[in-house]
Formats: sequence, structure tokens, C-alpha cells
Amino acid sequence: MGGIVEATLVGGKKIQYVVKDNPPRGGMKYTYFAPDKSYVVQFFNDPAITKDPNLRKRIAAILGKYNPTLSEVDGGARGNSDAMASYFSGKFCWPTAVVEAPEFGIVCPAYPSNFFFNENSSKLLPIKGQDKKSNWFTSGTRKYLEKHELGDFRSMLQIAISLARSVRRLHQAGLAHSDLSCNNVLIDPQNGKCVVIDIDSLVVPGIFPPEVAGTPGYIAPEVLETMGLPFSDPGRRLPSSYTDLHALAVLIYEYLLFRHPLVGPKLYSKASPEEDNFLGMGPKATFIEHPTDRSNRPKDLKYTIQDLGPALEKLFLEAFVDGLHHPDARPTAMEWEKGLVKTWDLLHPCENPNCEAKWFVLHDIHKPVCPFCGNRASKESILRLRLKSQLRGKTGQWVDAGEINAYNSMPLFKWHILANVFPDEKADRDMQAYVCRHQGQWLLVNHAIQGLTSPSGSIVPVGQAVLLKDGVVFRTCSEERGMVIEVTCLK
Amino acid sequence: MSNFTRRLPVYLLLDCSGSMTGEPIEAVRQGIKALLSELRSDPQALETAYLSVITFESTARQITPLTELMQFKEPELKASGATAMGAALNLLIDCINKEVRKGTEGQKGDWRPLVFMLTDGSPTDTETFKQAVQSVKAAKIANIIACAAGSSADTTYLRQLTESVLMMNTLSAGDMAQFFKWVSGSIKMSSKSLDAAPGGAIELPPPPQGFVVVP
Repeated sequence: MGGIVEATLVGGKKIQYVVKDNPPRGGMKYTYFAPDKSYVVQFFNDPAITKDPNLRKRIAAILGKYNPTLSEVDGGARGNSDAMASYFSGKFCWPTAVVEAPEFGIVCPAYPSNFFFNENSSKLLPIKGQDKKSNWFTSGTRKYLEKHELGDFRSMLQIAISLARSVRRLHQAGLAHSDLSCNNVLIDPQNGKCVVIDIDSLVVPGIFPPEVAGTPGYIAPEVLETMGLPFSDPGRRLPSSYTDLHALAVLIYEYLLFRHPLVGPKLYSKASPEEDNFLGMGPKATFIEHPTDRSNRPKDLKYTIQDLGPALEKLFLEAFVDGLHHPDARPTAMEWEKGLVKTWDLLHPCENPNCEAKWFVLHDIHKPVCPFCGNRASKESILRLRLKSQLRGKTGQWVDAGEINAYNSMPLFKWHILANVFPDEKADRDMQAYVCRHQGQWLLVNHAIQGLTSPSGSIVPVGQAVLLKDGVVFRTCSEERGMVIEVTCLK
Repeated sequence: MSNFTRRLPVYLLLDCSGSMTGEPIEAVRQGIKALLSELRSDPQALETAYLSVITFESTARQITPLTELMQFKEPELKASGATAMGAALNLLIDCINKEVRKGTEGQKGDWRPLVFMLTDGSPTDTETFKQAVQSVKAAKIANIIACAAGSSADTTYLRQLTESVLMMNTLSAGDMAQFFKWVSGSIKMSSKSLDAAPGGAIELPPPPQGFVVVP
């Protein structure tokens, strides 16, 4: 069996795909590729479920009114502009069409080539052409990959932000992914990119949910605990946006710390590995960094959530202590996105040329030590900018609006100078200014800001710079929501 | 940091009796090569699966102890002699008792082993076989999948051992390749789905086209 055959899409259009023996098969579907590999055609393992009208309704909704990768004008999500559609097209592998014949299936775009390993990715493993599932980079298999594939702490943080944003976008529309896992989020650490795949198992509001349990390691404890109950039992907990929030927190933890938040030394049952695992990932699950219950804590934890700064520490405690067994206490994807972005601004380049993380979160400038390699940052390298924004309608009342660790050639964007801009899919990503180390002094060079004001009150035109000295305060721009920057250097 | 990964032990019980001489044994050799390559390209399998090879002819031998995939060296296989399938099962029990870790505080217990037995005949040590089957079943020590290959393979014995019996019609290189592909699919799937509520049956992919599941 083999060769090129034709599929008929809903609406009558025909497309080609290549039939092969034993095609790649996931938990729900199997996949054939287009002759030029630009898209894939997927059919369901169990043809019986394609008879389910809910499945068809669900997929129609996913392709149409819930589709963030299609602008509203083209039939996508309400309020979606062309720019937003294009932004999210790169972040999801969203189905593009429904196949009617030879049987019910879906068409998805192929993932961009940077999400596949190539012949230079590993000297030891035959992985050319394999997709970059998250756990290649977060588990022990990292050591078999070539260094250039691995990225660094900053690129992993970038991936975490991107994933939080994508999940926030789904949840904002009322959707839940329902099977977020290392297999369904492909990552490219080299470029700090990720793409969410297997969109067709989304839980769509008002339509009976799919019977997907999820992927081991990412299934929320309450789902695992009640998996033995019949599907219709009211006690049975099904995948939802709350269970997505568990999986999201697990993935972010893995991206930043390369370990699983619940896998530690604790023995939950001597009876069998299955029971031990069930208890440890389900009803008795314990965070390995639980602040008071240290029963599951590995003895040799080198770096912890405290090293990620106060914003992420708080979120991880909410996710894995308060919210582990209380789904409604889990941080939302929006909270993750905000906390991660805040943490991004606290990044500091590690001066140790051999440090594999290359970056760390410098949250306490009086203890400037890279937690990954132990290198202490030099005093000259530290420059903290404190942002203050004016309370609306209250002239002269300024409140803290964030902190930035500056470093040479660090860019500043609109969200660093305007209090009402958040770096989401709508934000303008053009650089406004940059920090530069020049002849032993720190400068903020104006790249595109109108109304940047020097500490002495004169306007700094584009192309000119503000000298950043300890204690100086200046206004970033003349707009009403323009923020003030206060500079701290270490003496 | 210490490694708390739970291992998935996989035992391959391979018939190396005289009737496997020539193309069949060569096909098995190629099959193991392909199996390794497949598993090494899957992150979960690479992280969790450990592989051992037990061969049986007139006697049974563990030619590769339970080994992580990156350290695994392809074993040398030679075909000769009878079919001591019973002895192979007894050896399997010994190996599992010796190699499969029990959970302790500080070390995760291994998953229940996955055993694939491939034969082209029937046991020549039938008494030993019967007793060994009892011990294997009583201890519930493993999930066993048996594959009868070729026209002389007898599934009667295999069905005493396990409910999962596959039949492939020939010992050709093509069929053997498909069998090993399916084995790697099963290992990959197990390394991903091992987690369901305790007592749940293991999930395996559908057998290759042309293979029959013996009821």
C-alpha cells in the first residue's frame, strides 16, 4: 500500500496526501503528510468516534469562531485582527480544514522546520526529522543533544512566556486545551520559540467534552484520582481550563529547572509501582519544594524556585502547594504571563563564560550570585532601573511599576516607558531605547521616544542619551502615562 | 540532582533454536538494530526503557542484562539446538527478581516489566514450561506478549502463558521488521501511558497489518 491519494474537504475542495504503511500514530489519531510536507492529514484511530455529532460540532467551532489564528474578517475569532491572527499562527498548529472523504479527518499545517531536529542536532542519536518535544530538553536526554540545540535560561524563559500567552489566549476565549504536555508543546530553545499542537482535543464551551485523560506527568491530581469513576459520574473530574493550569505550571517548572515538580524521593506505596505512582501524582501528590512538608524533597537540590525571583516563587507555591489539590487556587495563565514577563526584566547575564545557563534572575542586587554556576556578578555590571507610574488623575503621586536589571545593549520597549502598555500580542515590539555601557559609564540611548527628559529636565532627542548615574530620576516620555525611571548602581 | 525516574524494564525472549538458522535469525538481528534506533529517537523511551535479551535453544541464557538504551550493545545471536522455552521463562523470573528494583524511600520502584517472546516452534521442555507458566502467572511479575512466527509455531502453549498472543505468517525479513516496529511502538506507548489508575490494563498499539491476534 502507498502512493498519493486525494481527500475531499468539507466544501468540496480536494487535496493530496501520501499514504504509507504504519503511519505515525498518537493516542487519538494517525498522520499522513502532503506530497510537499507543507500540511498533514490526520484520521482518527477509532473510526467510531467520528460518528459522534459532538466531535464534528466541536471541530467546526475550533476552525471557526474560536480560531485565534484566523482574523474575524476571514471567519476566525471575534475581535481578532490580521496582526493578532498572524501572531498566534506561529504559536499554535491550528487545524485548517475538515476532511469528509475517504473518511472524517482534519488538515493541519506542518510545523515550521525549526521544530524538527536536523543532522547536526545530535551526534549520538538517530533523531534527524523528529519533532522537538519539550522533554528532549528538560529531562536526562538533554545530554545527548548538541550544545547549540539547548538554548539557555533566557531562551527557556522566553518559551515559558510564549506558552503562558498561548494558554491565556485559549482560556480567554473559554477554550481549554485538555491535553497540554511535553508531547503537545514543541519547543525550539535555540530560538526561544514554542508551538502548541493537537488542538483538536480542545474543550469547547457548551459542547460535550472529549474523553481525553491527558498525558502522564501532566494530568491534574484530581483527574487522575477520579479516572476510575464512570464518565457520567458527577465525582469524575474531567480535563478543563483548571487542569490546563496544572499542566502549564508543570511545563514552566520543567523549562526553568529541568525537573518535574512532583517527582522526588518519597515512597507512597510499597505494594506496586502503579499504586506508588497513582498516589504520588494523584491524591497524595507533594511538591518537591514544599516549604513545610519536606518528605518529597530531594537532598541535593542545587537551585530552587527562590532563585527565580519573588514573582515566580509565589506563583509556583500557589500552583503546587495551595492549588495542587485545589484547582481554583491555581494561578491563571494571565498571572503566569505577567509574572514571567516581570521576571524577564530581572534577567542578568552571567559573566562566567562557561556557565551553561548564561543568564539568571538577579532579584536581590545585594546577593548577585548565579544560582546555576555559583559565579558572583561584579558590582560594575549591576544597574537597576526602578519604574514608577503616576496614579491616574493624581498628579505627582507615583507608585512602583516594576524593576529592570539593565545590561549592555538591553532594549527598552513601549511597556517599559508607558504604564498602560502590556507586552502581549497587541503590543508594539519596536525598540524605543537601549542601554549601553560606554567608556565605563551607563547610557540610555533614545531610539524612538518623543519627549524623553533628562534628569535636569531638558528634552533628549532621538539619537542622544541620558547618563545613568546612581540616584538619578528622569521621565521616559511626555505622554500622560509615561513613566519615571529611578537609577540604582552598586557602590 | 538525583534521578528519580521510574524505569521500564523490557525483556526480549528470543527463540534461537536450529530452525531459526539463516534468514530468520538475521531478520531478528536486524529487528533489534531497528528497535534500538526507534527507541533512541523517542525521549520518553530513551529516558525510561531498559532492555535485556534472553535467548533459548537447548538451554536458556541472558545474553544482555538489563541495560539502559544508550549503553546497549547489539548481542551476537546464533541459532542451533532445541527450544527450551520453559528454561527461558525460569531464567526470566530469576532475572526479574534480581534486576527489577522495588521502590524504597529515595529510589523509585521500576514499572512492571514488559516481556516480548518470539518463537517459531513450541517448547521442547514441556514439563518445565508448564511449571514456569504457573510461577510467572502466580507472581504477576510482568506483562507478557508472545509472538508465534511462521507455520510451525504452535500458539497452544503460548496461550497458556498469556492472553496477548500474536501470530505472523512467515519468518521473512519483512514480517520480522514489522514485528520489531510494533514492539518499539508498544514500548513507546507504554512509556507514555504507564500511569493510569492501578490495576488498569496496559495499552498496546494495534498489531501490524497481516498479523493475527490469537483469541
